This record gives sequence, C-alpha cells and structure tokens, in this order.
Amino acid sequence: MANLRTCLAFLFLCCSLCDAVYEDQVGKFDWRQQYVGKVLFAHFESHSQASKKLILATDKNIVASLNPRTGDLFWRQVDKAGPEGHIDTLLFHGQDAVVVTGNGRLLRSWESSVGALNWEMLLDPGSFLAAVLVGTQDSVKFVAVLKKATVSLHYLSNGHQKWTETLPDSDTVHYQAVYSSGGSQLFVLGVVPHSHLSIITFNIEDGEITKCNSAPMLSLRVCILVGQGVLICADASTLSLYMLPLSSEEPVGLQQVPLQSLDLDLALGFQPVLLTTQPNPARPPLAQFFLQLGPDHHVLLQLSDGHLSPLRDFQPAFLVSFATTGEKTVAAVLSPKNETACSVSLYSADSGRRLLDTTVTIHLDPNGGKPEKLYVHAFLKKDDSVGYRVLVQTEDHTITFLQQPGRIVWTREEALADVVTMEMVDLPLTGTQAELEGEFGKKADGLAAMVLKRLSSQLILLQAWIAHLWKLFYDARKPRSQVKNEVTIETLARDEFNLQKMMVMVTASGKLFGIDSKSGMVLWKHYLRNVQPNAVFKLMVQRTTAHFPHPPQCTLLIKDKETGLAALHVFNPIFGKKSHVTPPTLSRPVLQSLLLPLMDQDYSKVLLLIDDEYKVTAFPSTKNVLQQLQEMASAIYFFLVDASQGKLSGFRLRKDLSTELIWEVVIPPEVQKIVAVKGKRANEHVHSQGRVMGDRSVLYKYLNPNLLAVVTESVDTHQERSFVGVFLIDGVTGRIIHEAVQRKARGPIHLVHSENWVVYEYWNAKSRRNEFSVLELFEGTELYNSTVFSSLDRPHLPQVLQQSYIFPSSISTMEATLTEKGITSRHLLVGLPSGAILSLPKMFLDPRRPEMATEQSREENLIPYAPEMPIRTEWFINYNQSVTRVRGIYTAPSGLESTCLVVAYGLDIFQTRVYPSKQFDVLKDDYDYVLISSVLFGLFFATMISKRLAQVKLLNRAWR
Amino acid sequence: NAVPTGGMEEVAVSTRGGGGTRRMKWALELSLGNTRSRGDRQSSQGDTLYPIGYSDKPVPDTSVQEADRNLVEKRCWDVALGPLKQIPMNLFIMYMSGNTISIFPIMMVCMMAWRPIQALMSLSATFKLLESSSQQWLQGIVYLIGNLLGSALAIYKCQSMGLLPTHSSDWLAFIEPPQRMEIMGGGMVL
Repeated sequence: MANLRTCLAFLFLCCSLCDAVYEDQVGKFDWRQQYVGKVLFAHFESHSQASKKLILATDKNIVASLNPRTGDLFWRQVDKAGPEGHIDTLLFHGQDAVVVTGNGRLLRSWESSVGALNWEMLLDPGSFLAAVLVGTQDSVKFVAVLKKATVSLHYLSNGHQKWTETLPDSDTVHYQAVYSSGGSQLFVLGVVPHSHLSIITFNIEDGEITKCNSAPMLSLRVCILVGQGVLICADASTLSLYMLPLSSEEPVGLQQVPLQSLDLDLALGFQPVLLTTQPNPARPPLAQFFLQLGPDHHVLLQLSDGHLSPLRDFQPAFLVSFATTGEKTVAAVLSPKNETACSVSLYSADSGRRLLDTTVTIHLDPNGGKPEKLYVHAFLKKDDSVGYRVLVQTEDHTITFLQQPGRIVWTREEALADVVTMEMVDLPLTGTQAELEGEFGKKADGLAAMVLKRLSSQLILLQAWIAHLWKLFYDARKPRSQVKNEVTIETLARDEFNLQKMMVMVTASGKLFGIDSKSGMVLWKHYLRNVQPNAVFKLMVQRTTAHFPHPPQCTLLIKDKETGLAALHVFNPIFGKKSHVTPPTLSRPVLQSLLLPLMDQDYSKVLLLIDDEYKVTAFPSTKNVLQQLQEMASAIYFFLVDASQGKLSGFRLRKDLSTELIWEVVIPPEVQKIVAVKGKRANEHVHSQGRVMGDRSVLYKYLNPNLLAVVTESVDTHQERSFVGVFLIDGVTGRIIHEAVQRKARGPIHLVHSENWVVYEYWNAKSRRNEFSVLELFEGTELYNSTVFSSLDRPHLPQVLQQSYIFPSSISTMEATLTEKGITSRHLLVGLPSGAILSLPKMFLDPRRPEMATEQSREENLIPYAPEMPIRTEWFINYNQSVTRVRGIYTAPSGLESTCLVVAYGLDIFQTRVYPSKQFDVLKDDYDYVLISSVLFGLFFATMISKRLAQVKLLNRAWR
Repeated sequence: NAVPTGGMEEVAVSTRGGGGTRRMKWALELSLGNTRSRGDRQSSQGDTLYPIGYSDKPVPDTSVQEADRNLVEKRCWDVALGPLKQIPMNLFIMYMSGNTISIFPIMMVCMMAWRPIQALMSLSATFKLLESSSQQWLQGIVYLIGNLLGSALAIYKCQSMGLLPTHSSDWLAFIEPPQRMEIMGGGMVL
C-alpha cells in the first residue's frame, strides 16, 4: 500500500514537472540556426535548369546542399567528428555526390536532390591520396581511388569495385595523383624524391598495367595533366615548367620550359600553384591552365602543339577559377579594386579575352577577412552570353553568394559553427530611459534647473509613450504578416523583463559576433586578424550596461598556444566597436586572468593578468585601482592548475602586485591526470541558506564561494583498474574538503558545480553504463558564522552526502540553470549526443532521496530513490530542433525570476527560455483576457443596474 | 378617564375649527366647566377626577428585592463562567478538526482565537455588567482566566498545526547570504 502511495506521489510529481512546449508555442521564444562549417569543396549542380543546388563538403565533416536562392539548407549529412569522419574529397557528377571520408576509409555516394545515401563502400586500408571520376566513351561510369599502395576503380552507379591493383614499389615511390583523360587509360603519378618521376598507366577495363614510364627529376613540385595527356610540372628551384607527354609510345624525356622564355617575371619566394580544369571527366582536360606566380599574380597559359604560350597575365589577382557551362569554359579572376572592394571578371578560357559586362563588385566588410576561395557557377543566358554567380569564401569563414552586378544574394556566417565561448550582455536602456537615468548621474545645479530638467525629461517620456501608442494603433490596422519588427542596432533597447539580450559569441576562427537573443539576427561582427588557429579565448564582461553613460565593455583575452603570448581585445559588446581604452601590452606569457569585483571610478571591473613569473598586471591600472588593490591585496587569492604536472597551487597577492605561493597540492600525473577544475559562477545567487527538513529543523548548506571541484582520471585505462577521482578543494587555503574515488569508472567526465552541490557524469566500466553522481555539502543544523564567510576561519568540515544514478544515454555537455535571485528551483540542462537538450530537475539528483519513503521525507517532497534516471521526452526543451554536436550550453538570468535564458551551441545554435518552476511570476501565455475583462465589466454593469433597481424599489415601498 | 376627555376635546376642537360658535346652528358641550381655557381645565382636572389618596408616582416594592439580588448574582456568574464553559466544547472541536491545514480547521482556529481576543478587548464593558454583583472582582478574574485559557488553547492548536514560527526553518528566508571575505579566482593554465 505504502509502495503504491509513493508510486502515486511520484507520478503526480512527474506530471507536475512536465513543461514541454505547446504546439502553438513552437518558435515563439526559441530559434535555431544550422551551420556547416568552413567549406572545403563546393560544386554547383547545373545539369538541369529547374533544380539548382549547391553541394558543399566542409571541415566539420559535413556534406550539405544549399539553396542558391536563399542560402538555406536543403539537407545536411553530419558524419562523425574528428579524423574518422574527415572528408578527403568530394566529386560531383550528375545527381551523385561521391565522398571519400576518414582518410580513405569509406566511399559514399549521396543523392544530391534529397540527401539520401545511394551507396557506401568500405575501402581497403591505406591512407588516401587522391580520387578522380573516370569516364569512357563520353559517359562517366567509374571512380578511381588512389591509396598509398593500391589503386582501385569503383562503379559510380553502385560503388562495387571493378578492380583493384597494387602499385609497384609503393614503399619507395610516393604516389601522388591519379588522372584520366577520357580514354581507356588511367595514369598514376608517383615520385621518388630526388630521383625520378614514375608514371604508371592502367587499362581501365581490367586494371592491367600497360605502361611504366619514368622520367628523371631531381626536386619535386606540383604537376597537372593538361590537354591530350600532357603532364605539366612546375619547379620553384629551376624556375621552369616541365612537360611530359604521357600517351606517346616511346619514353620521352622531360621538356624544360624556363619561365623566363615565356616572358614571365617572378616574385621572390615563388611557390608555384597550377590550376587546370576538366569540364567533363569523359573528355581530356582543357589545354589552358593557370599558373600562380605570386600571392597576387596569376597567368593563364595555353598548351598548343607541344608549345606553351601565355594567354594573359593577371596582376593583381588574388583568386582564379574555371567554370564551364555547356561547351564554354570561362576563367574567373578576382582582383582587388580598392581597400574595401574586389571585382570578379570573366575571361574566355580559349583566348584569354575579357567578356563584356561580366564584372561583379564585391564589397568587403572592413571588419571581415580577405577572400580565400572562389567558386563560380556559370550559365548561358537566353542570348547565348555567359552569366554567372560567385560564391566567395573569406578568411573568417563567411560565404557570400553574389550575382551580377554585385548584388549579394545571401551570406552565411559559417564561423558560428565553431563557437568557443560566449557571454550574454544586457541591452542598453532606450534613449528616453537613459535620459531619466542620466539625471541621477549628474551633479546638482540648483533646484530650479533640476525641476526643469525633470519636467523636460518627463515630457520626452510622455512624447515617446504617445508615439508608441500611435505606432501600436497604426500597426493594428495592418495585417499581421506585414508588421515586421525589424531589429537594428539603433532600435535595440532593453525590454520590460530583460528577456532580450545581446549574445556575444567568440568563434575559433577569431571572429566575434553580436547576436540578438530574441531573433537570432547577427547585429555586428568583428574579425580579429592574425589569431592563431589554436588560440585560447577567455571572454569577460568588465562593465555591464548598468552604468550609463559609460558604455558597456567586454574584454577578450586571446592567448597564442605556440608562443604563450596573449593579447587583449577590448570592445563594446552592444555595437562591437573596438574600445578606445588601450589595454596593457603583455610582454610575458599569461597564465590566467582574474576578474575582481572591485571597480574603478568608471565602474569597470578590475582584471588581473598573471604572467609566467607570477607577477600581476592590472587592467585598468589607474591610481584609484592600484590604491584599492593595495588595500585589498591580502584578501585576493588565485589558484593555478597545471594539468601536465598535476599541480594545483594557490597564490596570494602582495601589495606590490607580486604574489606569494601559499599552498600547493600535487596529484601525481603518473597515476591520474586532472581533466577538469570548476569553481562556482560569479553571478550565482543562492536565496535559501539551508534546507527545511521534515521535522521543520534546518540543514544549513555549505556555501563556500571559494570551493573548487577537481576531477581526475586514471592514466591506466584498463577496465579493472581505471578510476575517477573527485576532489573538493578550498581555493584560498588549499584544504581538501572532500575526496572521492569512483572505481572502475572512466571519462569523459562532465561536471557542474553550483550552490552546495557537484554533479558529475562518468562511464561505469564495470557495468558498462553512464552514471550520474551527486555530491551535496551541508554545514549541519547550526551555522558556524552566518554573517561572513572566510575560508581561513572554518574549523569544521562539512557533511558530504553522495548518491549515484544510472543514466540511459551518454552526454555531450551539462550546465545548470541560473536565475536572478536563485529562488527558482534548479534544473540541469544536459546536451545529449542525439542533439536533444534535456532539462533534468535537480530534485532527481538529490543525495537525500530515501530508499524507503517515510512521513518526514514525504513532508520534504523527497522522491524515493530509484537507481534509473528517467529521460522523458517532455523534458527536451528543444523538442524536435536538434542541436547537432552540442558543445556547450550557456545560461543567463533574465529580469524575471522564473525565467532563465539558454543558449546551446555546437554545430548549430539554439536559443530558448526555460522556466524550472513554471512561470509563477507572469500570466500564462494563453491567459484569457477577453473572458476575464468581459466578466468584470458584466459584473460591474450588473451591480450598477441592480443598485438602480433597488433604489426604485425602495422608493416605491416608501410611497406605499 | 382620559378617553371621554379626548372625545370631548375633539368635538370641541372641531366645533371651534369650524370657525367659531357664531357660524354653527348648535353645539353640544359635554364637558364640565367652560371651553374658553384649556389650562384651566387641566389644572382643575387632578383635583376633580382622581380619587383621594391617588398618587402618580409608583411605590417601590421592597418585598421581592432579596430574590432579585440572587438572580443578578447568578447571572453575573453565568457571564463570568461563560468562557470556561466553552473550553470543553472547543477541545472537542479541536480534536475533531485535526491538524491538517485546510480551510475548515483554519476557520475554526481563527474563530477560537478571535473570540477570546474580542472578549478581552471588551473587558471593561463586561466589568460594568458585573458591577452590580458583590463578587465583582472574583467574577472578573474568573472571566479573564477563562478567556486567557481559551486563547491559550487556540495558540496550542496553532502550534500543533504548525502555524507558529517557532522553528528555525520559519526564519530561514530571512537569513542573508554571508559576506565573503576573500576574493578568489583562477583556473587551468591557459
């Protein structure tokens, strides 16, 4: 009976926790943006006029198809992350996109119209070198794949292997490329360094080696196949091109053509790049090709009758590309016009003549990067002239699609596929609100002036209000579809409940974005040039919007992994502009930074940067700040964790901004390695200082703001001997508050540390399942010191409770919700590999859950312990909007206590709001205003009428 | 004896209201004395109509006074003991309503608490009521004790229902978060 009751109570609890969205709420508070990443290969599908598509393969292991009209995704196929799913090449023919992935592990063919998998073939082991489409008799039937030691030919229709052949002398010869020029032969080019070239010719029908050529060649360079089977190689050391006809019967030596004989002047450090085109794999490549002589110097060359001749010299020209439509092939050249614009022009590939009216002007964003890649889609117009569209990829991973004469059709910010860190910043007040606020900031200048000022600002407020009403009235007459709430950087203003914020996102490519959290629109972007690809970023909000008229200020710490040197980028998070505040120059490598709650006279928080000599640099470093630092120095501590040496060390600031080491904890790196260290979030508030027990006493929480959770993993990964260690260390004193070892457990470990609890997730190697474990710290029924918390004066260790649960899925990331005052109950937001984001109530992860429900535990609303943690689909806050490869979840409080803003980022970006304790402070979305107001008015009138009736009746009675 | 006088008067008035004797053909005067002056008639009435020894003032009855005093005393004791007599009833109601917090037990507790408080507030009025009694002070004290007992009972009921803020958990919401003495930060070496 008792069991049934607990079951019922549990069910009731679960029902009351359901907070899935209703159908009509879809997309109301949330949005998702899907990205593909940096484009590696792009092809235009152009075999029919009706269905035009853009097929892309990216560095995020994605094959995708874009709508060239809007830039939206038609479909997207996401492969495994990492080298296992890396796309080696993308070949495109007809409706088939053939992809080699995972360093030649798999050969796949995707159907380009719907993104379905045509076929998939597991290739023989061996590292991938090249792949090419092979055509015979004017039709493309095969794909040739060249690997380290083999070459194989596969049918394009079903992927079956036609033949595979071992390459001779594969340990000495470095095979490089495979070519076919439409005949019945397949050429494989190999190089023996400092010796000779080796060209092997295979018969396409049976894979038989028909010929083995070799040509002496001392140093090596790039080679291409041009025209009717002529190999052209460029050599930087001899400054010449080499020609070698492949199809000739008798072995012919290399024919050297010095570049000077072609009247080409060379820049220093000549790195030759050759570019050819083969419009149809069943036909030989064109006889024309591009040779890159310098970073902005290209030349179009032609091979005719065994002679090379330059057709046209392009200087300056950053990028060149070929495009084919029908029988015509054109060369597109991108050349700089001025500082902020480039132009693309078409030239006839046959003659090198410039085609008229084919210039597209590309305006470059001054805050963006330089063009990096150029893809041209040419088509024949009705009058048989060539029209074209251009896809330009810039250094900052932006892809822009342009059409003549320079109209941008769409732009995609693919840098957002790799968000590293982000912050949410409150929007500024409107001009009128700021006007009112400004009054308080200024000095008093007489009573009358103040009154006048107040009156005038109130007048402005009234005016704004009337304007707002008028706009409402004006908009109400228009149909709803026409009313567009265009968000621009000028109209940005904080809303009533501070639900709309500015998302400042830092991406791995070094591009910063400011995104409106309500609409997902990119409001500003700023590309930081010369950011190294593996740089580390740390974003800090130094001044919020609350200090009008001082602008808000964010600081981004960028540390170069190679040199260890760091730079600071100080900017305004609302407008993205670089601040005029000059950050300190950091001459020594920076180890860590620390944002203090101290403020200078301009209300910007003080940032301390610790260099490798453990000296501290303050930013801003005004006299005021230095004075404050001197006063506070003895209370400022910081800790550094060196994972490679397994060392945790604590430092204290001295008055002269040097530091002294006060504690050190060494976790032997031979046994275990530190994988994560988490403190508490600085903006976290805890409303309740304790928990009410069933007997109405209080169990006080151990709320140590200096507590660190350190997670280690054993170096030994054997199933029986692996373990996960959790240490709770006080960051000020270095005291180990608690340590726990989870035996037969393995990472990856995800950790959340908040309030008085730590939740972590690990892989239980013995039971082969994912488990959650929760640690909660309590001070006991008495508070040691209720007014101040000092880590230096804590004689008693806290009581630690722990419980573990089985979780039915692995997880990608985990974060806890955060609200303004911390009254709302907490949820854990768990990003699952499936792309779902689970909002898991913290009350399920409570070490005080009893095994048997008692009167007291029921009084406390404790759910009886159940080892399995449920995953309910109603708890998915992103319903069917999966966030692929979710890497991080960011939570921010809003102005409403019930509401927490959530941004999940990975390959996609998803923004929504969550209400962990339901919306207790707002009327429901579907609140029936009409009914309530009609009832109110009805009652009001009924009262009036009955009052009158009563009066009449009284009067009549009086007359009787 | 007043009725005939009224009738006579009425007739007299109506005849006079008619505009005087001159206009009337005839008049009947039934009363004694003349019609000219009312004051004369009034003053003459007492002397003429009441029998000898008739007195307007009531004579106090001294024979039943002893029994009345007992009655008052009893009545006063009733008032004084009223609150005490209610206590068993209240106990029964308390027992019946239980300790769950819902609308009816709360209403009962409110009634139980409110009645003694009201009585204590109107204590002076009750004391005035008891003024006539000889054991006024004793009764007053009993009345007071009864009411105090009643309110104590209500408080006990509140206590057993958990409505009184007597536990530390009731003051939990007022505890301010402790001020932190040290500033700490840092992390993994970047």
